[in-house]
Amino acid sequence: MPIDKKHIGSKYGPTTYEIGAEKLREFAYAVGGGVPSMGFTGTGAPTSLLPQLWQGREIVGFPSFCNVFAIAPFGLAVTDPKLGINLLMLVHGEQEYEFFEPVRPGDVITSTGEITDIFEKQAKDFVTVVTESKNQHGKVVVRGRWLAVIRHG
Amino acid sequence: MAKQLSVGDTFTHVRECDKYRPIYYAAASGDFNPIHIDADAGKAAGLGGPILQGLCTLSWAVESVVNHVEDATRIAKVKVRFSRPVMIDDTITYTGKVTEVANGRAVVEVAAKNQKGEDVLKGAVVEVRV
Repeated sequence: MPIDKKHIGSKYGPTTYEIGAEKLREFAYAVGGGVPSMGFTGTGAPTSLLPQLWQGREIVGFPSFCNVFAIAPFGLAVTDPKLGINLLMLVHGEQEYEFFEPVRPGDVITSTGEITDIFEKQAKDFVTVVTESKNQHGKVVVRGRWLAVIRHG
Repeated sequence: MAKQLSVGDTFTHVRECDKYRPIYYAAASGDFNPIHIDADAGKAAGLGGPILQGLCTLSWAVESVVNHVEDATRIAKVKVRFSRPVMIDDTITYTGKVTEVANGRAVVEVAAKNQKGEDVLKGAVVEVRV
């Protein structure tokens, strides 16, 4: 049964996430071809990771580290019992991010989300969730647009 | 000195989805959906096995541009459509091409193909502050 369009406008969050330096490293390591649990410590970083993590002497988050915190309201939306989505049938259709501010260790990020569209096409349901994440200074760090595709069983 | 981008610039970036990559990515990102880390779940979902998280495929596209411009903070936007799952042992080649430089932004179109030449992303665009 298609997902009811009446859920358009449903809001999720706020969710909060505190940025940690080791988590930024783990993420860069996992994306960069390394093994997170065997990552590096101290002040150095493998040469291959320098642009991802270090701007001069300052650690910043890899842009799509926002996957880690901005996904929270999206996750709440697609697991909302009133939508009745079978997660095994869900795949990620599209993703868009606009980046405004880098994230740094110690930042506290608050994310909110809203379902902006629901439609059915070719035996699949499509759910669009728009998210916004702000830092502790109230500045928007990233906006996301998430498209979930749910295949019919 | 910020690296300059010009229309027509191209670059490539190659990443392999080794056997444990979806698990490493799950650990780093928190995305433990069973279709990514459990072969049985991937098969049960009709995907033929575990698939890499789309957001890791996206991250590699961003990484291709970050490595080229050598500055993660200059990335302004990314937009992708996931057109085909990335499976274990797939090798993905990202080819970036600067198609426009205007109004403080460089637009980089990124093609992402597996070892069979099939697109795993479509319409992928990364915008860079210039």
